[in-house]
Amino acid sequence: MRLTRRGLLIGAGAGGGLLLAFRLVPRHYASPLVARDGADAGERVFDSFIRLARNGDVSVAVPFCEMGQGIATLAAQIVAVEMGADWKRVGVEPAPVSPVYGDAVLAARWARLWLPLAPSLADRPGDVLARLHAEREPLQITAEGTALAAFEAPLRDAAAAVRAVLAQAAAAQWGVGWETLDARGHAVTDGKRQIAFEKLIPAAAGFDPPDPPVLRPEPPREKPGAFPEGARPAFPRLDLPPKVDGSFVFAGDVRLPGMVHAAIAMGPQGDSVLASYDRKAAADIKGLVGVVRAKRWLAAAGTTWHAADKALKAMDPRFKAAGRIADSSALETRIDTALHKGTPRRILAEGDPDALLARPSLDVRYDVEPGTHAPLETATCTARLEEGRLELWLATQAPELARRAAARAAGVALRDVVLYPLHAGGSFDARLDVRIASQAAAIAKAIGRPVQLMWSRWQESLGSYPRTPVSAQLSAAMSPDKQRLLGWRARLALPATAIEWGTRLLGETSMPRAKAAAQGKPDPMACEGALPLYGIPEKAVDHIPVDLPLPTGRLRGGAHGYTAFIVESFVDECAHFAGAEPLSFRVGMLSGQPRLVACLQGVARMAMWGGGADASGQGIACWKLDLEASEGPRSGFIAVVATARQDNGAIRVDQLSAYADIGRIVNVDIARQQIEGGLLFGLAHAIGGSTAYASGLPLAARLSQLGLPLLADCPKVDVAFADSTEQPFDPGELGMVATAPAIANALFSATGARLRRLPLLSEGF
Amino acid sequence: MAQLTVNNQPMEFRLEPDTPLLWALRDAANLTGTKYGCGSGECGACTVIIDGQAMPSCTLSLGEAEGRSVTTIEGLSPDRSHPVQQALVSEQAIQCGFCTPGLVMTAAALLARNANPTDADIAAAVTNICRCGTYPRITQAIQRAGRILRGEERGVPLPAPQTATTPGL
Repeated sequence: MRLTRRGLLIGAGAGGGLLLAFRLVPRHYASPLVARDGADAGERVFDSFIRLARNGDVSVAVPFCEMGQGIATLAAQIVAVEMGADWKRVGVEPAPVSPVYGDAVLAARWARLWLPLAPSLADRPGDVLARLHAEREPLQITAEGTALAAFEAPLRDAAAAVRAVLAQAAAAQWGVGWETLDARGHAVTDGKRQIAFEKLIPAAAGFDPPDPPVLRPEPPREKPGAFPEGARPAFPRLDLPPKVDGSFVFAGDVRLPGMVHAAIAMGPQGDSVLASYDRKAAADIKGLVGVVRAKRWLAAAGTTWHAADKALKAMDPRFKAAGRIADSSALETRIDTALHKGTPRRILAEGDPDALLARPSLDVRYDVEPGTHAPLETATCTARLEEGRLELWLATQAPELARRAAARAAGVALRDVVLYPLHAGGSFDARLDVRIASQAAAIAKAIGRPVQLMWSRWQESLGSYPRTPVSAQLSAAMSPDKQRLLGWRARLALPATAIEWGTRLLGETSMPRAKAAAQGKPDPMACEGALPLYGIPEKAVDHIPVDLPLPTGRLRGGAHGYTAFIVESFVDECAHFAGAEPLSFRVGMLSGQPRLVACLQGVARMAMWGGGADASGQGIACWKLDLEASEGPRSGFIAVVATARQDNGAIRVDQLSAYADIGRIVNVDIARQQIEGGLLFGLAHAIGGSTAYASGLPLAARLSQLGLPLLADCPKVDVAFADSTEQPFDPGELGMVATAPAIANALFSATGARLRRLPLLSEGF
Repeated sequence: MAQLTVNNQPMEFRLEPDTPLLWALRDAANLTGTKYGCGSGECGACTVIIDGQAMPSCTLSLGEAEGRSVTTIEGLSPDRSHPVQQALVSEQAIQCGFCTPGLVMTAAALLARNANPTDADIAAAVTNICRCGTYPRITQAIQRAGRILRGEERGVPLPAPQTATTPGL
């Protein structure tokens, strides 16, 4: 193996193949994996991006959690395009946790969470502190759509290095300069002749790739116009064939010799601990293998999951409060009191609107109820502890933190914990929570057998940390002629939720401690998006931190999931106050935002926007998301038009149209999937996806109580993309955020009623 | 003890008769393609075909399934060649894939009794929950599967299934 100055290792791999890895420079880290025995004897595991087998098959290591967003396919496509590989011969494998996959973009994005005293030292991915933190932790977390910003360049570098040594091998045979050769269709070619990759591999291992790597002139790019809806994708998703016949292995499908199944009972939401249970009541249940208790839960293991669950129920575990327990009436009182009497902290401002707002033109309140993730797959982890070595099969967005949690729970050294990353059956950020790993590890240790722990749906609803509730007072000052917005203030009462979940996750601390750490702190991340993009002379965002008994977590879209609803609904109110058409009212305040204006105009054309007047039932909303990457900020833009109506007391959404600008698009159909899926996720959270709590128990615990849309409720969905060469932006969260306000604005058009509470149905509409 | 036919094989389960069919299939017969999503028959992830009818396996006990003929996703086709499977992949109507096996079974049962369903027929039959938001594509995929089934359109062969591999094993 030889090493380039940029830290790429390349050389002969297992069985005569070719391997491209990253040297861990300049620091030394122990490799998390050792070679496995058996069928693949002789294979060594590296922190690699690309493996080329002797027969030419390519395998790309994917350091992200695939949750359905198609990131595994995107990573493989970036490599295939840069290498000139045949898509039919490209596969993926999960990458182990390793410093080489440390995500400096996410480290910078979350600088406030791990460096709260001086986040500005590390809030750009190029900052040394961000880089160091990403590698040392290692911060290998799938969240906030950072994958392309962090890993497209290294994936391309790696693929270009492989292409270069293959071209050098061909050039030596032909006696030409390798720079004149190209790679296409899994072969190196000079335009007339070609040699297949597999024939070049043995010789290629002897060449050195150029340093820096010589990239193709163009990064991978699909023009949206070339892939209209329904067009055959050039790079179909790799994970779909095994997902369609049940052979795809999720965490609950792992089967180990001697494995038992476990069910768990956690206490009411909030600070609760196990008080008592009737061990004898489970004695006669056939298939029961063992019972494990911990401070906050009781688990039973059995020969089937049903046996374990039945035993657990028979034991009737009782919990008692050790601190505060979630209760919706108490939550609402606290938020209400804070909004009216709390001390606001100014988070962000341009100018100072307070004087203008002494007598506001508009002054209204918005409320957002707790939001639940409700992924279809419940939290599941398979664990085996043998001879001091703990293995975990788990789908997690934070594999390193899951390893550490499991190591602590089982009393095993971190180096003896191996995590095999699996795909998640949906997450929406529910799998940022790593408790399942420590529970499974503790049960495996106590029972002394491999165990598969699966949360029941009830436990998933009870135990998951929802998105925070929010109440906001929105105030606007219009010009005397009522035509222009002069002042704007958003005053948000909510817990310091980002500090809370950030501390719980990155600080690896318990829920009560994380809540204590967040208490009373102003939290800019929790208020993101509340300062509108619009050109308003005086505008400000205030945060009133509330200490709620309900633990809160991140949900797809983050703070934008509620701020977009509040801001884009209130802008609509201002437009109506001005007697203006909502689209032109927005565009009039968006000078300097040509990409967002183009989205608004694009969606207006697609949806045949009629201005939303005359009870047309049309509503519009737009949004922008930003991400700081190493080359500077990247942005994604979206505008949504919803057509909605009231139908026998229910909300019926007939159509959702979206026009998005996500910069250069690597894979149009995957981007379309993400925007479509985001629109429907946004629809679900506009009309449901929320629960109240009584004595810590969720009142909407069954999926059917969440008001989630079914196929029969699915509107007609149209998605179009701007053709752009800007840096790519992840579409995963963008599709969701502008949907709820577009629907609320559509319902105002349809009915004249302004719905200021999310979900919209909760107003008894 | 319950005796039933699973994927054309006679099977006897040495489990309590109150065990839901889902857990007998998953934990005793090792047919893990059928997924647990809710345990209350709402989400459709555990859908199997019983005597020709798609139904949730999480709310049907082994005792109730006695003597009946059950088809799971593993028994639908040996090589992903069922028109519903081909159409779901070619329309890319799958994201996380957790609801997919149950959805395939629901759609297959629908097409078996109505090879030319309207969009309304599909909306009435498919009550499976998908949180990723693939619904618009699912309707298109089932329509396409119908065309393949009726011989109006060629199928789209999928890569042959390999033995499922689990990392670390």
